[in-house]
Amino acid sequence: MTGQNCRVEMRYCLMRILVCVGLAAASSQPWVVSSAAAGDIDRRGTPLTFEQHVRPILKAYCFDCHGAEADRKGGLDLRLKRLMFAGGDSGPAITPGDGSNSLLFQRIRDGEMPPRDKKLSEKDQRTILDWIAAGASTLRDEPAEIGNGIGITAEDRAFWSFQPVRKPAIPDTSLHASVRTPIDSLLLDAMKDSGLSFSSDAEKLTLLRRASLDLTGMLPTPEEVSQIMADDSDGAYEKLLDRLLASSQYGERWGRHWLDVAGYADSEGGSTADAVRNFAYKYRDYVIRSLNADKPFDQFITEQLAGDELVEPPYQDLAPDEIEKLVATGFLRMAVDGTGSGATDQEAARNQVIADTLKIVSSAFLGMTVGCAQCHDHRHDPILQTDYYRMRAVFEPALDWKEWRVPAQRQISLYRETDRAKAAEIETEAAVVAAARAKKQSESIAAALEKELEKFEPPLRDVYRVAYSTPANERTEAQQKVFAENPVLLINAGNLYQYNQGAADELKKFDEQIEKIRSRKPFEDFLHVLTEVPGKVPTTFLFHRGDPKQPKEPMAPGGIAVLEPNAQPFTIAEKAGHLPTTGRRLAYAQWLVSGQHPLVARAIVNRVWLQHFGRGLVDTPGDFGALGSAPSNPELLDWLASEFVEHGWSLKWLHKRIMTSTVYRQASSREPTKHLLDPENRFLWRKPIQRLEAEILRDRILEASGSLNASMFGSPVPIVEDEVGQIVVSPGADAFRRSIYIQVRRSTPVSMLQQFDMPTMEVNCEVRSTSTVSTQSLALMNSDFILQQAEQFATRVVREVGSDLEPQVIRAWHIAYGRPPTNVELKRSLEFLKHQTEFVASQLATITNKTEQPKESATPPEKKDAPDKVKQPKRLEPSMQALTNLCQALFGSHEFLFAD
Amino acid sequence: MNPLCYSNPSRRKFLARGTFGVGSVALACLLQQEQALAVPSNVLLEPKVFDLTPKAPMLQPHARSLISLFMHGGPSQVDLLDPKPELSKRDGQSYDGNVVFSFFNRATKRLLGSPWKFKQHGQCGTAVSELLPNIAEIVDDICVIRSMHTDTNDHGTSIRKLVTGLSQPDRATLGAWLTYGLGTENQNLPAYVVLGDPGGQPTFGIKNWSNGWLPSIYQGTVVRAQEPRILNLEPPPHLKGELQRQNLDYLQQLNRDFLDRHPGESDLEARIAAFELAARMQVDAKEALDISQETAATCRLYGLDDPVTKEYGTRCLIARRLVERGVRFVQLFLPSQPWDSHTDIRKSLPEICRKTDKPSAGLVKDLKDRGLLDSTLVHWGGEFGRLPVSEGDPAKGGRDHNGEGFSIWLAGGGVRGGTTFGQTCEFGHRSVVDKVSQNDFQATLLHAFGLDHNKLTYIHNGQQQKLTADQPCRVVREIFG
Repeated sequence: MTGQNCRVEMRYCLMRILVCVGLAAASSQPWVVSSAAAGDIDRRGTPLTFEQHVRPILKAYCFDCHGAEADRKGGLDLRLKRLMFAGGDSGPAITPGDGSNSLLFQRIRDGEMPPRDKKLSEKDQRTILDWIAAGASTLRDEPAEIGNGIGITAEDRAFWSFQPVRKPAIPDTSLHASVRTPIDSLLLDAMKDSGLSFSSDAEKLTLLRRASLDLTGMLPTPEEVSQIMADDSDGAYEKLLDRLLASSQYGERWGRHWLDVAGYADSEGGSTADAVRNFAYKYRDYVIRSLNADKPFDQFITEQLAGDELVEPPYQDLAPDEIEKLVATGFLRMAVDGTGSGATDQEAARNQVIADTLKIVSSAFLGMTVGCAQCHDHRHDPILQTDYYRMRAVFEPALDWKEWRVPAQRQISLYRETDRAKAAEIETEAAVVAAARAKKQSESIAAALEKELEKFEPPLRDVYRVAYSTPANERTEAQQKVFAENPVLLINAGNLYQYNQGAADELKKFDEQIEKIRSRKPFEDFLHVLTEVPGKVPTTFLFHRGDPKQPKEPMAPGGIAVLEPNAQPFTIAEKAGHLPTTGRRLAYAQWLVSGQHPLVARAIVNRVWLQHFGRGLVDTPGDFGALGSAPSNPELLDWLASEFVEHGWSLKWLHKRIMTSTVYRQASSREPTKHLLDPENRFLWRKPIQRLEAEILRDRILEASGSLNASMFGSPVPIVEDEVGQIVVSPGADAFRRSIYIQVRRSTPVSMLQQFDMPTMEVNCEVRSTSTVSTQSLALMNSDFILQQAEQFATRVVREVGSDLEPQVIRAWHIAYGRPPTNVELKRSLEFLKHQTEFVASQLATITNKTEQPKESATPPEKKDAPDKVKQPKRLEPSMQALTNLCQALFGSHEFLFAD
Repeated sequence: MNPLCYSNPSRRKFLARGTFGVGSVALACLLQQEQALAVPSNVLLEPKVFDLTPKAPMLQPHARSLISLFMHGGPSQVDLLDPKPELSKRDGQSYDGNVVFSFFNRATKRLLGSPWKFKQHGQCGTAVSELLPNIAEIVDDICVIRSMHTDTNDHGTSIRKLVTGLSQPDRATLGAWLTYGLGTENQNLPAYVVLGDPGGQPTFGIKNWSNGWLPSIYQGTVVRAQEPRILNLEPPPHLKGELQRQNLDYLQQLNRDFLDRHPGESDLEARIAAFELAARMQVDAKEALDISQETAATCRLYGLDDPVTKEYGTRCLIARRLVERGVRFVQLFLPSQPWDSHTDIRKSLPEICRKTDKPSAGLVKDLKDRGLLDSTLVHWGGEFGRLPVSEGDPAKGGRDHNGEGFSIWLAGGGVRGGTTFGQTCEFGHRSVVDKVSQNDFQATLLHAFGLDHNKLTYIHNGQQQKLTADQPCRVVREIFG
């Protein structure tokens, strides 16, 4: 990261305090950083202490200059009370018992400190004043020695998410009939003082729809629905869940959630070219397969972080299970990487790849962002700058920024010995042509030079020729002047085309020929992986202020200190076992999944909860720190986390446990009295209604129209820019596959998906946003895609039930909603169809009459405004048009787009 | 009284006349959305609501709408807006300045005086080339900035610097920032309209109006020269009108039924309102793009009576109609990069001047006549300028790229007319006095709209993003009245 980016990051850190704490400030502009102040400290009568009340304020505002660095402004160190009392160049900073005469308070009150724009709120100032006035007490004796940096205090360690996961006792709620699982007991127990209780169960069909969309993103076929509905046996719902979890569509649905977290993309980003990542899709397939197989999540984590260290190098003639483990490391290759696409500042680009990778790792598995600690100790969470570089040291042997490998050098070829021999043979053949090309090129340049020289006086020509053939860095001053005055002589391979297009074209022919020869090579398949070069272990340095140009002390690999048990910090042995590589990532992964890590299981179960309910138990799945939100039900979070681990890290077990609970099975409607008590549904007294994601909307449309191509895996479905500049799925056999298989090009997201909030992967996406705008409505009303699919849908309905209107409506309803229409809906729809059929017929009649008149009349008067190349609209039979319109309305309807 | 009222009458009017009988629902839900915005979310990661409702600027704004006449390719400042007698005097002599070339095969150091005459015009006496006789007529209303520089000679890099703040790709463009910051006055029309040329896409296509990492609602909406004018705006002709109304009524009934089963879900209400907005957009956009009711005099003003100027004039006229109706930003593009005068500048430059001169001037005159120039800022300019030396043979050649000094002009929106700002060197090669960088330019434009470029921010990638990207820059306050 460059110094500049780092500054940006620092400002961002500061801004986060303001945004996060400044809730009370009203502003209609989402971009205006609230100037309201920090310091929302709960003082519930407890006496103010330095550790609990004052230090957090000073840490956020003052430690930058007065504590964190060895060089302290004014010689003042605010990290301990006794140091404040000792004071700096201006004398003691505090006079215990006399707040208003203490320098610390005065300088803050008078706005002199902090010197930048960000000032302390009145509340924070008051806290400091009151604390000094009350005698400036500390909670415990202060240490005699304090090293450099901000350090970790007992208060820091006490923060909820850094505590070990503790499985709570399940409250006795046996008297409540609504309780089905311990999840329900914990939630109901939390509700007990609020006057709330669970809503009644949702209707069977609603639940079926909900569970299906949730687990597969699709509805079962109408036939399957009636079969499921007919099953009145005791375990019918459990059976449904088992069936959905066993469906291969489960991996496609939940794989997409994980790909958001991983920041999946099929292109490198980081340059205008946005080069394509040809083999990234194997990671996408790995994710889908792993989820479908219910691969234990600890294994899933380990493979993604260190799959390469589970395979013996060299990575040749690989077995399928070895390939799978290597492909898993594609996770660590998801960050934007412009280093192979002509990034102008290579050093910055490489360090950005490392920083982004650490961000993805930490937000995915820790639910924490460590980026702030890149430049300095984190000001809000006890994440030290040394932690950041210890973690970086885990990954640096593979992401060695001094001996960088660009994306093309990070692939593993699946060539076998015979393939290699054949390829080498063909390469020799190509080399012959390449030599001819080189010859031609130098001749052409020489000829172009001669031609230019002819424009000069004969005596000058020799002089200039000699100047040209002299390497640029060896030219005399006089020779340099030749080119400064006659830039036309600066001919090179890059600009040869400007002098002689014919020659350039000929060179291109050589290239084509070489290309053609090479195309005869056996197809070379690659894996997109992260590996280490055995034996090469770079030293990781802490960068002063995050600037790679200012390396300081070397760092050993490790984790985040505050997350480790106090007595036994996590360290990695110098040489791990039999591995030829460092084994650092493997050791790190093993620590994450050891069951001792306080964050990993919590972060994972929280994400699963988030997808099932639309919001996590912790609202900020990527920030379990001080600036994130506290869990709405900490006991439930911990119960889920510990049970998840006890049940072998099985995601499918977790889904089923959650989905068989009453909380999931409730109706989604709002009961007015409960709504008044808890309008935000924090207690989950009803099931939230959820909008489906962009990809699922598209998939459902294809499914309903019968166009869906259900084939799985493989190279991404290509995309193209259409004639009006929209990015669309390229027409062809694969055009109607599920959206997860569409190429994710960072620079050109598919327009329709983007409209419905598909994230653009800059790093990764922790929570999707949901927008409601009229361009979405316009797409649902008028886009080619919708119109075509609506017609397909109508065609399917006619094919399946014939031309009678009533069965048509019923069938369309079943396909789109998984239920029959109500009587009112049926009646209204039949009226709609009849009316529309007549209307379209009458329209057609008018047109036919018109066009039957002077058929070959002169050019229409409005020729100038005639649209260019407008496709003559295909006109459907009136009844077909009416049914198509009905089908289109179903696509645009709430019931199609929401799971209730 | 503040002449620029931000209370958004158009939107309220729309809500009062709900087409499909859900006006009150729509009103309730939109108000709810606004309230949702009024309380900032307590966590950065929580999904945020983005919309295009009008937002009050931070400072007293000069301008309410922006029209940018983008002159792709790099108009030659020394032949158009920046007279250089010294260059003419030393025509044909060798230039001893350090020149960065893009095209070496035709590169020379021979100074090329402008083949065209400059004359002072208006009360202010600003000198303009004979190639721009109509712009010459409006010099008292414009401010020519003669000291622009991007220090880049590559089209793409310079465009990115100019419209996105930095040379790196895929950042958000100026128009996206403007609509993100201010929303738009008329919810029935797109906030940011791009008027494309029937001759084809400008160089770099959709990147010119990209939202980058800003939410996609801030992307420019392309109004094409042919049908379909706005993408997805209308169904095929045979599904238009009454038929579509019936379809929409039917759909909205389905949606209201669902809402009845889930009362109080604001997202469902908002979605019903969004369909209604979409329907109004169809009507209003159609009306806004229809120039048939304009008087003959107005049409003549824009050159619609001349085949050479008719097409560009029509788009300039549409631009006026759009800002009149509350569109925040209208941008006109040209096909490819017609100002890229490498060869035969004597022929190519007059051609592109002919096409654009009268319509551009007509736009400013018309805005002024209608009292819209005070609140509308008009920008005319390209991504860089051209070299003072000849590219190739002086008689048939042209000029190569030059990002070290070039001219643009601004009119209206609080900018003082009849002025010039900044200077290039005596050859028009480098900006030397009161230099205006691309980031100064951006800060200044935002300032005209009451936006502080340092405070208009967006969190992306865990970083606080700004249009000016923390580059050293300043608001050029001197150009405002």
